[in-house]
Amino acid sequence: MGIRIDDLTVSYGKENVISGLSLDIPEGCFFTLLGPSGCGKTTLLRTIAGFVPAAGGSLRFGGIDVTRLPPHKRAIGMVFQDYALFPDKTVNRNVAYGLHARGERGPDVARKVAEALERVGLGHLGDRHPAALSGGQRQRVALARALVIKPAVLLMDEPLSNLDAKLRVQIRETITELQREANITTVFVTHDQEEALSMSDLIGVMNKGAIEQLGRPQEIYATPRSGYVADFVGAANRLAARLRPAGGGLVEADFGQGRILATDAREIPAAEGLLILRPESLHLSTAPEQGFQNLPATVRSRQYLGSKTSYRLDLGNGIEVMADLHGPGHDGFAPGAAVSLGIDASEARVIAA
Amino acid sequence: MTASIRTPWFWLTVAALALLSLFVLYPLANILTASVTGDGPSGWARLFDNPKYMQAIGNTLLLATAVTVIATLIGVPMAYVTARHTFPGKGLIALLPLITLVIPEVIAAQTWLMMLGNNGLITRSLREVGIRLPSFYGWFGLITSMSFIYYTYVYIGVVSAIARFDAQLEEAAQSLGTAPGKSRLKVMLPVIMPAILASALLVFTMTVGNFAISMILSHRLPLLSVVTYQAAVAEGASDITMQSTLASVSVLIVMAVLFVNRRIIRRGKYEIVQGRGAKPQPLRGMRGALVAALAGLVVLISLLPLISIIIGAFTASRGPVMQWGSWTLANLERVFVSAPQPLVNSLTYAGIATLISIIFSAMVSYLVVKKPNILTPFVDYVSAIPLALSGTVLGVGLLATFHGGWLPLSGTATIIVLAYVIRRMPFGMRNGQATLHNIPNSLEEASISLGVAPVATFFRVVLPVMLPAIISAAILTWTTTVAELSASILVYSGGRETLPIQVFRLIDSGLMAYASAYGLVLVTVILLPIIIAARVFRIDVFALR
Ligand SMILES: Nc1ncnc2c1ncn2[C@@H]1O[C@H](COP(=O)(O)OP(=O)(O)O)[C@@H](O)[C@H]1O
Ligand SMILES: [Mg+2]
Repeated sequence: MGIRIDDLTVSYGKENVISGLSLDIPEGCFFTLLGPSGCGKTTLLRTIAGFVPAAGGSLRFGGIDVTRLPPHKRAIGMVFQDYALFPDKTVNRNVAYGLHARGERGPDVARKVAEALERVGLGHLGDRHPAALSGGQRQRVALARALVIKPAVLLMDEPLSNLDAKLRVQIRETITELQREANITTVFVTHDQEEALSMSDLIGVMNKGAIEQLGRPQEIYATPRSGYVADFVGAANRLAARLRPAGGGLVEADFGQGRILATDAREIPAAEGLLILRPESLHLSTAPEQGFQNLPATVRSRQYLGSKTSYRLDLGNGIEVMADLHGPGHDGFAPGAAVSLGIDASEARVIAA
Repeated sequence: MTASIRTPWFWLTVAALALLSLFVLYPLANILTASVTGDGPSGWARLFDNPKYMQAIGNTLLLATAVTVIATLIGVPMAYVTARHTFPGKGLIALLPLITLVIPEVIAAQTWLMMLGNNGLITRSLREVGIRLPSFYGWFGLITSMSFIYYTYVYIGVVSAIARFDAQLEEAAQSLGTAPGKSRLKVMLPVIMPAILASALLVFTMTVGNFAISMILSHRLPLLSVVTYQAAVAEGASDITMQSTLASVSVLIVMAVLFVNRRIIRRGKYEIVQGRGAKPQPLRGMRGALVAALAGLVVLISLLPLISIIIGAFTASRGPVMQWGSWTLANLERVFVSAPQPLVNSLTYAGIATLISIIFSAMVSYLVVKKPNILTPFVDYVSAIPLALSGTVLGVGLLATFHGGWLPLSGTATIIVLAYVIRRMPFGMRNGQATLHNIPNSLEEASISLGVAPVATFFRVVLPVMLPAIISAAILTWTTTVAELSASILVYSGGRETLPIQVFRLIDSGLMAYASAYGLVLVTVILLPIIIAARVFRIDVFALR
């Protein structure tokens, strides 16, 4: 079932946390709400679940209005950051809980529980209590418990935040695999851009209770529509620039220390905008290179990070940009060196300020 | 907020508030107003006219101050050495909270008398070798016996504060060049001071409210709780002016103390430092032996009541005269066979009260913590009021309120159970709320998301998780209600004697052997569930205190 949100308003007391939000999540879509802490992701997710009442607007699951339906009747599956496993019940009974609530009894339940646990790779741990499991195992049980009831929508609030980095990557894969397999409409909340980019079909970047940009991961990353999105998803150099159309979807951006041709991603033409340069799209060399727009720069400092080196470059007049270099010899430019900064017009963007 | 009115939780809150208003606020209001509304001169005029009442107030404050100081002087050093050192016999000290809990005050008072009273074992043996002890009645006995009971509250309160105290702070002070002893005083004392003051104030209020020991040992010395009880017995339930006035005085004293306590806690919030506690250092040689001997002495004195009622219960007697050295089973035969009613009553009333109490506190603390609405803060507040009411005050209030009228409860078993439940309520609520704060909301939301309605979720998820805490709370409730004396002695009627009431009456008649037998059974009844919980359910009841 798809989720359709129309003109939704949510408030705690007087202040609206979300006002007039509309959103359409297609059936089977892995949708991620991405944004910094406090922007309203949890609030929106809990409103979809029904734990927070909507002050206005409507919410539909597969065309059916659920705005006034209490949460236990919404056929949702939820996965929480703190796992929320019932500590007094074994893993088996945790997973069977939702089936029992639906009046299912007998060998059918046992079979479904075993299957669900098998699918998250925990078939052998059914008799344990949650306290005897690791964090990663607990979250897998929580996932099995949410999926075994075949919910209409799956809701997850930062389910990976309590896990260490390695586990996070593993469970990310488990989640996406299971989601694809069950083709279940999913809303996933995170503040981690890497999670959002790697797992989602569709990302909504949230800012102050509104969805600032909605798009596929590639779109969000490559063509951010605001400085906020550019900054939050990946690192970005943002330079204030005066803009002049240059034809062919290109625009000339004058940022004071030079002029750069860039791809125009403004919605409304304006004379002032931001030039966005991703650190990893920049090139460094000792002399100007063919195929790039070249600017003279001085290396201020470098940070060797193993797979790459991060340089802070001075373009003169106090304007600085960060550039990341990969590949062999990526740490080869010493602080103080005069270098040439190469910029590809297709990777530079201008957006409205 | 308007949406909350439609939920079942809101109506449960309304019901809880109605019950609390009827059984806590209404009696309290009766006490506070009856001092001025009665016939004749107002209670306050009579209070200031009668030197006995003024003396009683003065004596009570003096006694409370003395007991507080002595209990603190025993409790704090003992907490310090047990938190920071190991020494031979340290395990015995761990028994302390158990001892205070299982020995009802009435029995403690009785056994002090059996040892040090005019006819006491120690008094008599010392007299034989020519040493005359001062009379144990009055100041000497009151201060001694109360200090040796109440120091454990200081000990318990302070030992956890010292254990929590971050040893790094102390080390930091030392690294800055302060000598170890000095740095300890300078750094630790301010940090644990709120805990010391809070437990000292607790001792103060308990002394002010103390009934059993005051009645038994004060003799001709007027004390507030004693004159209140006497006024209540003399006036009965129809004219309640004087008893209400005296009860109001005691409420005002306790409220003043609670007010000070709140200020201390508020200040303490900034000072409590949590961190790695220091590893206890062993005390060896002379110092170790000395500390062990002192601690052992304190524990022995605390254990004295237990030992002496065991001896007393099996000692033959003729009337009030104990025939030390000749043994009998006649005393226990009386408890179980010829006069078992107090035992039956105690088991029944405390059992029912425990059941009501745990259900009420589980439900109401759930409302306060998990389903707050506009009314829940009031519920929380009113349910804490009994903290400010001593048993005697509550007894006066219940008697005055439910004598005749539209809800004539006085003399019934119900009013005894009611008194038990009300006295225990603040503690039950505190336990329940602490437990619920540790259960994340996501647990319930997980259950609801799986299709279980909110009320069913409470029973299927929250209640099972609370269960170990509820069992502990039930046991603590049992141990305290079965020992309750000061409120029930005011509201009971003939035939409804409980074990503590029976012990009290027997002591009053000087029948120590019978009193010991009933007392021993009482202690057993208290102790049994604790042992069962520890052995069978592996629940440490005292972890929750
Ligand atoms: N129960 C609540 N009562 C009042 N304000 C809340 C409550 N929950 C969240 N808020 C506020 O709503 C805003 C959004 O919070 P939340 O949805 O939790 O953000 P996120 O999940 O993105 O971190 C925050 O400003 C937060 O302070
Ligand atoms: Mg959140």
